[in-house]
Amino acid sequence: MTGKTSFRLIAITPAIALLAACGGEAGDSATQPAGDPPAEIEQRHDNFEEIGDSFKAIRAQLESGDPDMAVIQASATDIHERAGRLDGYFPEGSGRDAGWDTEALATIWEQPEEFEAAKAKLLEESEMMMTVAADGDAAAIGEQAKALGGACKNCHDTFRLDDD
Amino acid sequence: MTTEAAAAAPAAQTSTRSIRIWDWPVRLVHWSIVALIAGMYLTAENSEWGWHMRLGHVLLALLIFRVIWGFVGTETARFGSFVKGPGAVLGYLRGAYDYRRNKGHSPLAALSVLALLGLMFAQVGMGLFAGDPYDGATGPLNPLVGVMTADTITETHEWFYWVIFAFIALHITAVGVIGAMQATNLIGPMIGGTGEKAVEVEANQPTPWGRALGALAVSAGIAFWVYLGAPPLT
Repeated sequence: MTGKTSFRLIAITPAIALLAACGGEAGDSATQPAGDPPAEIEQRHDNFEEIGDSFKAIRAQLESGDPDMAVIQASATDIHERAGRLDGYFPEGSGRDAGWDTEALATIWEQPEEFEAAKAKLLEESEMMMTVAADGDAAAIGEQAKALGGACKNCHDTFRLDDD
Repeated sequence: MTTEAAAAAPAAQTSTRSIRIWDWPVRLVHWSIVALIAGMYLTAENSEWGWHMRLGHVLLALLIFRVIWGFVGTETARFGSFVKGPGAVLGYLRGAYDYRRNKGHSPLAALSVLALLGLMFAQVGMGLFAGDPYDGATGPLNPLVGVMTADTITETHEWFYWVIFAFIALHITAVGVIGAMQATNLIGPMIGGTGEKAVEVEANQPTPWGRALGALAVSAGIAFWVYLGAPPLT
């Protein structure tokens, strides 16, 4: 390898590779439609994140062997209250099919009855969690945690982007 | 820049020849990792968790392979031949290392190898425990940790790739800058396996394919066992 050409080539190749890598990032947003995404997408995402955190808090207490019933009760109430907010979070045109960065599938609007049933199931199981949490029986809470988790999973399986 | 001039001057007068530097497994692993890192990023961005995990286990197998190969591979693949103490690194930084009279990783590049392997091991390792069974995909070892531990691991896994990208950027920049400063082609040998070295430098050994296949079988076996949830652990 001699000459200035190969020298320049050696110097410039990694620089081009870096530029290409940075350029790839900028192109990501190009797939989204024009205009701002519906505010509900972020609202429901944050709401589900909070539900997830509260559910994790319940399971962490159960795992600890010495569950703090106050934490479980507060978390159960939070989940039930947030489950009640879901009705306003799924306006038409706020799904993945509309091009937005969301995992909400078109089945939400194609199968409205099933989606309503899935929401009702979450309300029902979270209310039951509040009831068993008030009783303070760790074994019953553990059983209800499985049922509540089932309500999450039930909806994810049908209405959220497939995970695997 | 007197050190630069001193290093460049004798190099220009040295008579060189093309010799083997990198064996096949080192090169295949290197470029496979390049492709896999891109694949891991894209599958994560597009929520393709099934593929993300499958590719992650291929990456795990390659990382394990590279560590095994660092003990049983050819000379330039072995940690024992290229990982040097701080004295050698300081010497390198002072300009005492001559690319024409040495083959393989420089003392500084050795640190880069260790850092990149370590960071990728950490990221893949976190992925094995990440996720939540009630909320989408989980790594195969997720049941081994508590829900809050898994949550912390998942959140760390979600930003840690930036650390890896930063080190990849540093690696690419270093290859460009050092290659230019030393007027040495560092990229060609990692592709073709051979490079120009002073006549007194001995060629690396040819690829011992039997040993390579043995190491591959062991690393693929471990990665597959982990993929199955490391029975009987989970």
